[in-house]
Amino acid sequence: MASGDVEAVDFEPEDDDLMDEDAAGDASPQAPLPKLKSAITGAASTSLSAHKKTKGRGFREDDADRHSHLASRDFESLGTDGGPGPQRSIEGWIILVSGVHEEAQEDDLHNAFGEFGEIKNLHLNLDRRTGFVKGYALIEYEKFEEAKNAISTMDGTELLTQTINVDWAFSNGPSTGAFKRKNLRF
Amino acid sequence: MAAEEDSGEFYLRYYVGHKGKFGHEFLEFEFRPDGKLRYANNSNYKNDTMIRKEVFLTPAVLKECRRIIAESEIMKEDDNNWPEPDRVGRQELEIVMGNEHISFTTSKIGSLVDVQSSKDPEGLRFEVLCILSYLTPLQDQAYLKNE
Repeated sequence: MASGDVEAVDFEPEDDDLMDEDAAGDASPQAPLPKLKSAITGAASTSLSAHKKTKGRGFREDDADRHSHLASRDFESLGTDGGPGPQRSIEGWIILVSGVHEEAQEDDLHNAFGEFGEIKNLHLNLDRRTGFVKGYALIEYEKFEEAKNAISTMDGTELLTQTINVDWAFSNGPSTGAFKRKNLRF
Repeated sequence: MAAEEDSGEFYLRYYVGHKGKFGHEFLEFEFRPDGKLRYANNSNYKNDTMIRKEVFLTPAVLKECRRIIAESEIMKEDDNNWPEPDRVGRQELEIVMGNEHISFTTSKIGSLVDVQSSKDPEGLRFEVLCILSYLTPLQDQAYLKNE
């Protein structure tokens, strides 16, 4: 099933600018299902599993100005060598920490995660509007074991009174199972 | 409330581009339901060539994206009062989450990272994009280090 889905993900370069021909324009549930305005796929996008409430100018406007730059096949990618598993980045292994307390500081993360190995990179994103932590951090270790230990040790633990979850950030294949994929053919 | 975030389809696409003296410059990325993140960046400044990258994100990352989007309440917005795309540039934001599908377009206001969101009619709740834009440069950085 996994490899079949990977096939569906690749799309034809010609199938860009997929403005639906019969754009209804409003959010009427009777309107034909609009296709996604991107290069993800042609026919498959009509198989959205349920009527969607639609909203936005993007469904109404003329497609003349649309540029679909994701249509090309020429995307560089890290190799996929089998089923979904963690994927190495060029310099190391990146993990995602979610559920980070909004007042957490980088030092708190260094203290909590530094014991597993040298932290090569740490991104603690701030909400640009509030200045508080957005809730997640990306941490990069050089070695797989370091990242794996950080995940298995810290996932589900508490940081600053709040439970955090820790997992890999990048995968080497499409996700299955975590999402409803019945009629999804993106 | 958590149901929308954790189940159902999820797709996000963002495009920002303009045509200026350096030609058509744009950035576009796409989070696909199976976790594939595609990213295209074209800048003609100094004759840069187009960058196209793709990588798979784990369900953990997509879940966090969905949470951020749900919290931003951007699905409740409407681009009715936002300025229309113009000659200078355009932005597009398309999100499928649960049973809702939004496709907003607007003009280019400053640069992506300069957008300060606010609640006025022209306020653009694009802080989510600032967050998401951290993901692409990070993985992009991982790729580019090799070049």
